[in-house]
Amino acid sequence: MLRRTGQSVVVLAGVSVIVFALVHLVPGDPIRLALGTRFSQETYDALRERSGLDQPLVEQFFSWAGAALTGDLGVSFRSGETVTSLIAERLPATLTLAFASILVALLIAVPLGTLSALRPRSLVDRGATVLSQIGISVPEFWMAIVLILVFAGTLGWLPSGGYVPLTEDPLGWAQRLLMPALVTGVVSGSVITRFVRSSVLEALGADHVRTAQAKGLPTRQVFTWHVLRNALLPLVTVTGVQLAYLLSGVVVVEIVFAWPGLGQLALQAVQARDYPVLQGAILLFAVVFLVINLVVDLLYTAIDPRIRR
Amino acid sequence: MVGRQDDVSRPPEVTVRASRPLALAAAGALALTACGGGGESVDTGGGGGGGGGGNTLVAAVSAQPDQLDPHKTSAYPSFQVLENVYDTLVVPNAEDLTMEPSLAEDWETSEDGLTWTFTLRDGVTFHDGSEFDSADVVYSYNRIIDEELQNAYRFANVASVEAPDPRTVVITLSQPTPNLLERIGAFKGMAILPEGAADQVDLTTEAVGTGPFTLESSDATSTVLAPYEDHWGGAPNVEGVEFRYITEPAAALTALQNGEVQWTDNIPPQQIESLEGDDAVELATTPSVDYWYMSMNYARPPFDNRDVRRAISFAVDRAAVAEAAWFGAAQPNQTAIPEDSFFYNDYAPFEHDPDQATQLLEQAGVSTPLTMGLMVTDEFPETVTAAQVIAGQLEEVGITVNIETLDFATWLDRQGQGDYDAFLLGWLGNLDPAAYYQEQHVTGGANNYQKYSNPEVDRLLQQGAAETDEDARKEIYDQAAQLIVDDVSYLYLYNPDVVQAWVPGLSGYQIRADKAINFEDVELP
Amino acid sequence: MTGQPLPEPAPSPTATDAGIPSTQRAARPRWRETLGLLARNPAAAVSGALLLLIVLVAVFDEALAPTGPNEISVEDRLQPPSLEHPFGTDDLGRDIFSRVILGAAVSLRVGFLAVAVALVIGSLIGLLAGFYGRWVDDVLMRIMDMLFAFPAVLLAIAVLAVRGPGSGNTALAIGIVYIPVFARVTRASVLGVREEVYVRASRSVGASDLRLLTRHVLPNAAPPIIVQTSISLAFAVLAEAALSFLGLGTQPPNPSWGLMLAEGRGFIDIAWWLAFFPGMAIFLTVLCFNLLGDGLRDVLDPRQRTLMAGGAR
Repeated sequence: MLRRTGQSVVVLAGVSVIVFALVHLVPGDPIRLALGTRFSQETYDALRERSGLDQPLVEQFFSWAGAALTGDLGVSFRSGETVTSLIAERLPATLTLAFASILVALLIAVPLGTLSALRPRSLVDRGATVLSQIGISVPEFWMAIVLILVFAGTLGWLPSGGYVPLTEDPLGWAQRLLMPALVTGVVSGSVITRFVRSSVLEALGADHVRTAQAKGLPTRQVFTWHVLRNALLPLVTVTGVQLAYLLSGVVVVEIVFAWPGLGQLALQAVQARDYPVLQGAILLFAVVFLVINLVVDLLYTAIDPRIRR
Repeated sequence: MVGRQDDVSRPPEVTVRASRPLALAAAGALALTACGGGGESVDTGGGGGGGGGGNTLVAAVSAQPDQLDPHKTSAYPSFQVLENVYDTLVVPNAEDLTMEPSLAEDWETSEDGLTWTFTLRDGVTFHDGSEFDSADVVYSYNRIIDEELQNAYRFANVASVEAPDPRTVVITLSQPTPNLLERIGAFKGMAILPEGAADQVDLTTEAVGTGPFTLESSDATSTVLAPYEDHWGGAPNVEGVEFRYITEPAAALTALQNGEVQWTDNIPPQQIESLEGDDAVELATTPSVDYWYMSMNYARPPFDNRDVRRAISFAVDRAAVAEAAWFGAAQPNQTAIPEDSFFYNDYAPFEHDPDQATQLLEQAGVSTPLTMGLMVTDEFPETVTAAQVIAGQLEEVGITVNIETLDFATWLDRQGQGDYDAFLLGWLGNLDPAAYYQEQHVTGGANNYQKYSNPEVDRLLQQGAAETDEDARKEIYDQAAQLIVDDVSYLYLYNPDVVQAWVPGLSGYQIRADKAINFEDVELP
Repeated sequence: MTGQPLPEPAPSPTATDAGIPSTQRAARPRWRETLGLLARNPAAAVSGALLLLIVLVAVFDEALAPTGPNEISVEDRLQPPSLEHPFGTDDLGRDIFSRVILGAAVSLRVGFLAVAVALVIGSLIGLLAGFYGRWVDDVLMRIMDMLFAFPAVLLAIAVLAVRGPGSGNTALAIGIVYIPVFARVTRASVLGVREEVYVRASRSVGASDLRLLTRHVLPNAAPPIIVQTSISLAFAVLAEAALSFLGLGTQPPNPSWGLMLAEGRGFIDIAWWLAFFPGMAIFLTVLCFNLLGDGLRDVLDPRQRTLMAGGAR
């Protein structure tokens, strides 16, 4: 475990160097962009100095990385707000959507995957396969726009997008969450379905399950206790990874549904060459990714006592 | 956030869209019979959030303001909001964009045109309750000048800004500047802040203006304004304005049609025709003071050759380009300044004429096929559309156009470095002819990226910038424009319309050519 | 945009023992048998046939398309499907039927190029990491982790911003995103065969590393990589569409399906055919790659070592 944590730290350090280098390698001048088209050279120079961009690159990196270690991610070029406050502002929306999507995904994947594993190669199985493949074969933005036109436009059942905090308007919160969660959930659900199917299949064939059945335990008991427990392992992994991806922002869906998540923030930052925000966001995503991977490993050992590493 | 809307106070708006079945068929989606229905409308909720009640205007805009400091931002989404929060000394009239009093009631110009004396309005207060006087003007202008902020260039001719008494501001110039009013009043980038504001509040997220609305909150979903009851022009009629950011046009339009929002400007031109026949939506268009153009790089042969540029100018069918990009909502124009302007010049020497283009290319000794890179940006999708049409037209005269679609940051970089054959872009919100022509065409001008240089044009532009007689000034700019057009310094394409839509029955709002969004007098149905 | 590659579950001792006995692993992929098994899966078989057809369309595109891709005629814009224009015309009056046919080549080329980049680089890294183990493994896989930890969309956008847009660079960007996936799949597969009897035997008689790798390790480790390739192709076509939605994919006026769909979405309620036909083309192609990959997996990789590609985000 210690080794894994150490590896994560090394990876994180690497990511921060790559992020910084890549961000500064990208052509485009944040100052020029911030000023638009009409400005004077003096204005340009003054703003460049205020942003610290006139410093040597290596110096910029160490002052950024040093501050980042203390939790200070700098100030946005674009808005003048601190990066941490910009991220904090968007965190609730991103967390909401990510967990709602995982919920949708599991609601789809667990029954569908289990069902098709219980009757492999049957019509049910084939149907579930095709269904789940359809879910990941439609471009997300297309699915999102069609949903808006149907459910917000024609039927008028749901708002077209946006976000309201749960505490302010629970109904509005749920209404606005439904469509984006459905789009991202279907995609994640399709991926997870395949994993549920294969791990249940594998668990069904495992020795101790056969033994349990041979001992004459009722099928239901064998299934819920022995099979599901073993099938849980890969499910935890795949769900964890899906969560990591959802937390790093689902840019396209966020744009279409006007969902104020981290993906939009990062995209805006790329477009505006807002280095501090971009670096901060990517660093956060990397941390989330690594932490979730660590947690998944921990859960592994907790669920399956055979694994002790 | 504004308050949750009281459902009882306002009947739900149900829109049954007759024009939708096609879309549904395309989507292979649900049964059409499920349309609309009486009580099924969405809880429009006013964005969901706090007070406000049913009298809050929700406006769908396409992007979030980058920051709210009027002196530092250059982003249009910021000015959409700031227009309602801050005031300037003078302001463009909604009808013809001539300058009229705002915080300044009156002004005088000295005989030599070098001293402008402004008399300020009485009884104006800032949102923090403090009284407005001349010290605030001096502070605001000096902040822009001393800190070299965004709009410092607008004060290039200003020698000093002084306040001899609380009601008087004197601006002294280094040379006559007939368009001074435009320079200090064209938009809210020249807003008046209370003295010392930058040290007392964080202007990037807070606002202390004199405008009809106060800034209540701004987050990643929307910016919310509350009425300022003590506004010098009277309190607004609505109980608040919420600017909600909806990037995807289809979503913005749907939100307007089902009553979630009451106003939007996020309308793609192709929707204009279908919206004109839509009873659930009030559509408005008006010619803008924007223009779009193509610019060729004089440093890259053969585009330094006047005949080659003229050939290309003859080969481009401006009407087809405007029609393709704007579906009829744009007027082809060869001189940039739109027809409604006093400075409009009816000069159009380039009839679409591929034969003459071919002949000119031969005359220039250019062997075809000639390859030309054309740089456009997805930041302005109309440039991408226009480029494709232009590419088709130039193909006819033996010029192969390679379209390069870049993100705006890269685009600006390459423009700055002169690393392009040609590009498409527009200049937005131009009020004075100097704004149309000066920096773009004068030798060494800040925006003369194409490196055009014509001594006669230089002379005329300098003369025009200082001429105080309106008619003489127009005459000068007419001459300059003809030279610029003939030389094809810019290949002017068209002036697009401003396109906005709102719910039927909304009143007290006026669509403006300069795209300023002012909700001071707006009333909801 | 980009997909949801899954990292393999951390290899556990139990997992390696519990699976299918190593004797079941073919020394060489048996092509005939594989195809036979595949044919028994109707979804995969139909998908394979359809893909073949799509590839043929892409190869003979110019012969099949009634018009060129960029014959603009603003007067004829937004015409609904008719005999003259089976799929209608777009906002610039171009024939959508022709553009969908010509777009096949563009979209497939991006897909194949992207996967080729990921396959070659990723598999090589995975092969070396798995075969040599120890510090080689550590160093290479940590680098892969760094790429993996990078949000896929932003990585692709950054690559495109550095390299400039265009379908070649789009393919490169998508390919780079998918390198770590192939590295992990290959490494896991190589770990499985490294200690097989025949590999050890060859090593003991003094076969060179190169010979070991090319003759024994790679062929036996191939099946999961093949499955991954098919799934990744689906991913790449979707990713191209998503990047086009963000304005970064294929350059207009080139007719890639993703670009056509992204541009057509603004017309969805007034001229549905603009987005419908390219959308269907993407959907069918991606679905076929996915179903084929799924069928291949059942046959070649019953233990499901492959990392699954998700949708496009």
